[in-house]
Amino acid sequence: MTSSNPMRHQRAAWAFMGPGVLLVLLAMYIPVVYTIYLSLTDYTGLGTPNFIGLQNYVTMFRDPAFLTSLMNTAIWVVGTLVVPVGMGLLVAYLTFGLKGGSWLRIPFLIPYALSGVAIGVVFNFIFQNGGALSQALTFLGVPGAQTHWLEVAPLNTVVMILASSWQGIGVNALLFVVGLQSIPKEPLEAARIDGASGWRLFTTMVWPMLRPSTTIVVGLSIVNSLKTFDIVETMTQGGPNRVSETLGVTMYTDTFQSDQYGLGSAVAILLTIITVAASVIYLRRQLTIGDASGKGEVAEA
Amino acid sequence: MNARKWLAVAVVTAAAAATLVGCSSTTSGSSSGTLSFAEDKGWNYKPLSAAADKDIDISLKTTSYSSSQDAFQALIKQSLRTPKAPDIFTWHTGSQLEALVQQGLVSDTSSIWKKAIANNWVSPAIEKMYTIKGKQYCVPLEVDYWGMFYNKKDFAKVGITTPPTTWNDLMTDAATLKSNGITPFYSQGGNPWAFVWYMLLMSGTDLKEYNAINAGTAKYTDPEVKTVMDTWLDMIKKGYFSDPGSKTPTTTSFKDNSSAMQAYGTWYPGSLSQVGLKAGSDYGIFPIPAVSDQGGKTPVAVETAPVCVTSHSANKATALKYSQWLMSPAAQSTWSKSQGILPYNPKATAPNATLQAFGKQVTSSSYEAYLRYYEAAPAPVLTSALNNFTGFMENPGDPTKYLQTIQTASAQYWASNK
Repeated sequence: MTSSNPMRHQRAAWAFMGPGVLLVLLAMYIPVVYTIYLSLTDYTGLGTPNFIGLQNYVTMFRDPAFLTSLMNTAIWVVGTLVVPVGMGLLVAYLTFGLKGGSWLRIPFLIPYALSGVAIGVVFNFIFQNGGALSQALTFLGVPGAQTHWLEVAPLNTVVMILASSWQGIGVNALLFVVGLQSIPKEPLEAARIDGASGWRLFTTMVWPMLRPSTTIVVGLSIVNSLKTFDIVETMTQGGPNRVSETLGVTMYTDTFQSDQYGLGSAVAILLTIITVAASVIYLRRQLTIGDASGKGEVAEA
Repeated sequence: MNARKWLAVAVVTAAAAATLVGCSSTTSGSSSGTLSFAEDKGWNYKPLSAAADKDIDISLKTTSYSSSQDAFQALIKQSLRTPKAPDIFTWHTGSQLEALVQQGLVSDTSSIWKKAIANNWVSPAIEKMYTIKGKQYCVPLEVDYWGMFYNKKDFAKVGITTPPTTWNDLMTDAATLKSNGITPFYSQGGNPWAFVWYMLLMSGTDLKEYNAINAGTAKYTDPEVKTVMDTWLDMIKKGYFSDPGSKTPTTTSFKDNSSAMQAYGTWYPGSLSQVGLKAGSDYGIFPIPAVSDQGGKTPVAVETAPVCVTSHSANKATALKYSQWLMSPAAQSTWSKSQGILPYNPKATAPNATLQAFGKQVTSSSYEAYLRYYEAAPAPVLTSALNNFTGFMENPGDPTKYLQTIQTASAQYWASNK
């Protein structure tokens, strides 16, 4: 290295970055642009797409199945915030500092190793009509054995959120534990000396200091729940009669089952906009609160 | 520095070249005698391939995509324009075939059909299903007629000695089975089987209306359809159907005596043999009687599994030669024997007497074949119908709102596809 010309460094840097940038462009951005284009056409998977303007977006918002799907996706977002995030925090807080606490957390973490499809198959076996749950209820003489868990809306969505929670609690707990470990001990001890304990200690001291972890867990949870697909597709296929679809499933159904690639692309674009907007708004807000300057600008990494 | 720079440039070029090669590599014309075959049924093609190898020196390299119909369809549609397209592939007749033909993606097989018809290898009624604007495309791997498979033990248990021949008899038998604690009919919601009872009742009541709806010239909201749905509703309310939400496989339900009668195509014995049930001793099959008189003819649903030749396949000549052979008595005898099903070629031999008798009956002049709903309905309409029929089965009640939704999908489709 004898030369120190910054331009040469720049060029060399680009040469090294080139393949990576090219791959990202090819694999990520071109498909997005192509999907936006398709969403403005009447493409059926065959032949030439004809430009039809925003017609697909109009059709989409007039479709009752789409509106149901939008509502279900909202239920998923709220549901996964309440159950897996809430339970994750509970598990983390209750086991934190306990002797052998990490062993207690392991059972919650194991399901995380499974794929969404595997979870769907297992819970299908449990919740199907006359399935494991119904048989268990019959055996115990508890009412509810005749319930069609996967066929009545919004019960089926709730059931699927519980199935997905079974998988999500562990990893959320893990993230919260890391957060709890990073909380300095001194302020907590000071608070204890001042008489704070139990619920009060948690709400006034622990919870605010957990913010970095909460931000990540909640942010991930929102994004993941917005793109819910695998569990629904394996458990109910969005049915019966499209009542349990999420936006991800609607996108798939419109595209590959109804051969309406344009409409499916429109759903995909809307889903992308919602996901990006939700993440940006949430993260900006969270980072603003954490930012002492209060300017609301995301600090550069 | 220069060396580094050149290295970097080389890396970029190599990466770009690799990407381009990945996108455009062509399959060199595969060695003569082997055809790449993409299929969506998951059947065993080995005996058929071995027979073709022996007879005409052509073997198959089969790739199966039976786990997802959606993925298979997307794959075929996207690959047909590329050099990666299979030489031959299974498909569906009706609107799905029309879509491919419109784009010029499948080869014309008119000359093959001409010979087959002249040789009496296949009936002209089947030729119709493969005809689009006067020309034929693809050839049938098999043709299946829909009948009612019935569990002989269940029938014997309640004292039914002969299968019903009229709709009234069928309903009487259903009532008898029900009163003896046996669910008469199997029904299943979702894709693909939610259409079955709509199809059977609609065609059995008014075949003209059924065909007109599928051609976009009649409506799902017509009073004729409402009447049919009410018949269905009445049967549901009487408890004649198995749980439409059950995930129990249909063959298991049949074997475990959970539903005495199941309506399927003549491909079903292939599935039943896998749970150890034998035609003749364990089960029989009878033509499904018409609900109301339709000029003396009983409608019978037909479905067929076409094998199509990719229009720009490098092995097109070989693929067409194979297509011709596929319709021959030798090929059809091999196929029906290995699958345990009815051959469509009258010169081929059926694997068992039960199927032989049924086949002879439903191809006689007192039956009128119609295209199965799954093929007859355009894709967006089919999707809507499967969803709405499932909704109707799960929440039996006034069918109007379900029919209205299907009609919306149908009107939308036919507005742009007249």
